[in-house]
Amino acid sequence: MSTLTLIPLLPLLGFLVNGLLGRQLPTTVVSIVGCAFPALSFVATCVVFRQFLGTGSPLEDTLFTWAATRGFVVDAAFYFDAITAVMCLVITGIGTLIHVYSIGYMHGDAGYARYFAYLNLFLFFMLVLVLGKNLVMLFIGWEGVGLASYLLIGFWFQDPAKTAAGLKAFVVNRVGDTGFLLAAFLIWAYAGTLDFQQVNSYFGMTPPTAGVMTAIGVLLLVGACGKSAQIPLHVWLPDAMAGPTPVSALIHAATMVTAGVYLLSRMSGLFLAAEHAMTVVAWVGALTALAGATMGVTQYNLKKVLAYSTMSQIGLMVMACGVGAFSAGMFHLYTHAFFKACLFLAAGAVLHALAGEEDMRNMGGLARRLPFTFGVFLLGTLALCGLPPFAGFFSKDEILWAAYASERGSVALWLIGMTASFLTAFYMFRAVFMTFFGASRVDPHVSAHIHDAPPTMASVLAVLALGSIVAGFVGLPALWREAFGLSAPFYDLLAPVLGHFEPRADAGHTAEVALMVLAVLVGLAGIAVAWLRYGRAGADLRGGKPGLLHETVSRGYYFDAFYDKVVVRTMDWLSDTVLARRIEAPLTRTSLERPADAGARMNLWFTRLQSGDLQTYVIYALIGLAIVLGFGVAHG
Amino acid sequence: MMGRYELLLALAAALFAMGLFGVMVRRNLLVVVMSVELMLNAVVLSFVAAADRTQTLDGAAMTFFIYVAATCEIAVAMALLVLLARRRGTLDLAAEQELKG
Amino acid sequence: MTDVFIVLFGLLALVFAGVVLAVRQPMRAALALVAHMTCLAAIYACLNVHVVALFQVLIYVGAVMVFMVYTIMLLDDRDVAYRRRFSATLAPGIVVALVVGGALLRLLGPDSPPYQAAQTPASFSFATFSTEFMARYWLHFELATVLLLVGIVAAWAVIREERR
Repeated sequence: MSTLTLIPLLPLLGFLVNGLLGRQLPTTVVSIVGCAFPALSFVATCVVFRQFLGTGSPLEDTLFTWAATRGFVVDAAFYFDAITAVMCLVITGIGTLIHVYSIGYMHGDAGYARYFAYLNLFLFFMLVLVLGKNLVMLFIGWEGVGLASYLLIGFWFQDPAKTAAGLKAFVVNRVGDTGFLLAAFLIWAYAGTLDFQQVNSYFGMTPPTAGVMTAIGVLLLVGACGKSAQIPLHVWLPDAMAGPTPVSALIHAATMVTAGVYLLSRMSGLFLAAEHAMTVVAWVGALTALAGATMGVTQYNLKKVLAYSTMSQIGLMVMACGVGAFSAGMFHLYTHAFFKACLFLAAGAVLHALAGEEDMRNMGGLARRLPFTFGVFLLGTLALCGLPPFAGFFSKDEILWAAYASERGSVALWLIGMTASFLTAFYMFRAVFMTFFGASRVDPHVSAHIHDAPPTMASVLAVLALGSIVAGFVGLPALWREAFGLSAPFYDLLAPVLGHFEPRADAGHTAEVALMVLAVLVGLAGIAVAWLRYGRAGADLRGGKPGLLHETVSRGYYFDAFYDKVVVRTMDWLSDTVLARRIEAPLTRTSLERPADAGARMNLWFTRLQSGDLQTYVIYALIGLAIVLGFGVAHG
Repeated sequence: MMGRYELLLALAAALFAMGLFGVMVRRNLLVVVMSVELMLNAVVLSFVAAADRTQTLDGAAMTFFIYVAATCEIAVAMALLVLLARRRGTLDLAAEQELKG
Repeated sequence: MTDVFIVLFGLLALVFAGVVLAVRQPMRAALALVAHMTCLAAIYACLNVHVVALFQVLIYVGAVMVFMVYTIMLLDDRDVAYRRRFSATLAPGIVVALVVGGALLRLLGPDSPPYQAAQTPASFSFATFSTEFMARYWLHFELATVLLLVGIVAAWAVIREERR
């Protein structure tokens, strides 16, 4: 067993230890076990990454042959290339930090050991997902991540609403999984293999008809939509805030929602051959980015604002994949992990200080009370808004540039991206102003206990804030690279797998500079509008009577209502009237009740045979003898 | 024309069937036991017929063991019969329906 | 001449067997059975199998049937079983007996292999039989004595049960 296998195995061990023995172990041991295994996994990832950088060729580790029939072999195998490297580093690195943060955040919770067990399980499945060498291994992780998210979102299972939220995430993900499975079937039907490298090269070299390619691409996108909360399967994400805040951070930064982007990048060879599917991917991403951003504007719940911003940012990543700039998408995934984890954990610190208060209308003026938390939250926000020199600037700018300059890009996509950026800056600073500035609207009872984060939480926040500042420098835009004679290690790393992004011929440096400046200006404009509306002294934070547009957006464009009214109602009606009454009742009557009745009647008849009269029994026996003898005579 | 052997076997078969009939339909347990004896005698007859036909010892020797078995059977059966009659006051088989399911 | 006697005694045996089945009183049935067994003994004698004829009379008629007659005398003759001869299953009993008997006749009778002439002279006199028997069936004889012992013990156990 190589170090590669250790990467997913260590969190699994942590899960087993804490899951099986956690209740008996003291809290300290649970914390150490819960954090040490992910940390060791991170170390293992670093070791493997060094090995990978040394040789430059992907690493493989085949555990065993899972299934082998004629012409079809599935190995339980792990594969480590540049994409996996990025994903693994993010998952184990950010994941470990979130584990450490959880020590302080979950302190004193009754399900402390269970919480860490689930968290480790989450990491394990996510690592299997990104390390799997074929679609089957990926699917294990895919389903496992769904399971772990269900367990963690519904972690406080005494509250029915939270359990329902976990269930919703699970069910919506299942819809996406169906798409994924159908795509896998199609891929196997055409390529005859499920190994990523073989699949990509097969569809790259000899793509079947455009219709088939589109079908596979769109079905894969459906799968990605489920995990990555893209329209129309995004509805579980806001509800997923029911879990503990570190879980939200984990779902949004390191695991789960990145799975869809990973899938798209992993199948880049296939997608590049599926032109129509790429268009669909780009537009789904763009629309999600816009919808998420608009919905973020209308929220008063701090965590939900962040949730919608994640949706919006993942939308940008998907859009990047859709226009063929997979490495830009991966880069944004990587920087986003830092500042989104930072934001969520800072929000968690705020909630922690305010005894679980999530409504921003009941906050305000916290900058003085929680200076450290305010600092890291602000840094994360600036990174998310895409202002230089923070991490988000480089990645988001690259995506916007790709949306404009790619062969598959267009001005429309770029405009949507810009609008989303503007809105992002607006609602993020709206959140900052409402939470940290102005007069305090905190409940006086709660106000007395406000305290900044304990050391375990604060140190993690500091690391993540630092990451939000510097993480972007590994992927400087081409313009800067040329101007300053620097290299972009991130893109160089991914180049062998995902290729370098090449802009259209007519998109020159002038355009790039112009767009970059425009993006920064738009971000600043968003901040300015937010200040005018929410930051100034005496700003009306409660808002007036919400208009129709506001109402529509704040209710998530009625997606939930639509699903409830149309899909759920239809299914209910179908189950009640058609399936239950027309099919199930007659079916049970004919298949179960009638044979049972016939059996009972036969039994009655047979009991009459059992008269208890000895001679009757003798006759039964001798009737048998007579039959045997009669048969012998007849056939003698 | 039937040979002696066939005749004896036919007689044995008829006696066996009669014994069987008695076991099946007589109500008195004593007579049922007697019917069993009838069947045993039919078997003895068939053995003797075979011994006569082949002029060998074995058939006759077999009858000896049948007698031993019959003696044992009667000894135990009569004891049981008396016991049953004392307990129930009747030897009517139809009256004994403890095996009713 | 021998065959005539055999047929005669065979018919008599059948008649007495019928009487056993038909009469109501067990005592009469027992006496008919004695007569039936004596007829069979006569048939064995006709066949020159004197040993079996002797056994038939001594063991069966002399011991077994006398034992049975004593038992009948021990029991109460006001028993209801003495009045009703046949059980309710008379009709199926007749059918089954006819089928089994018919099948036996059919299977044993016509299809039997042809009669072979005797290879050795008859050796069924008591003395020759005894020596031959003890020479060849000594072990089986011993085993049969064990069976008899078991029978005695079983009867004794039943009597004990009766006393309790």
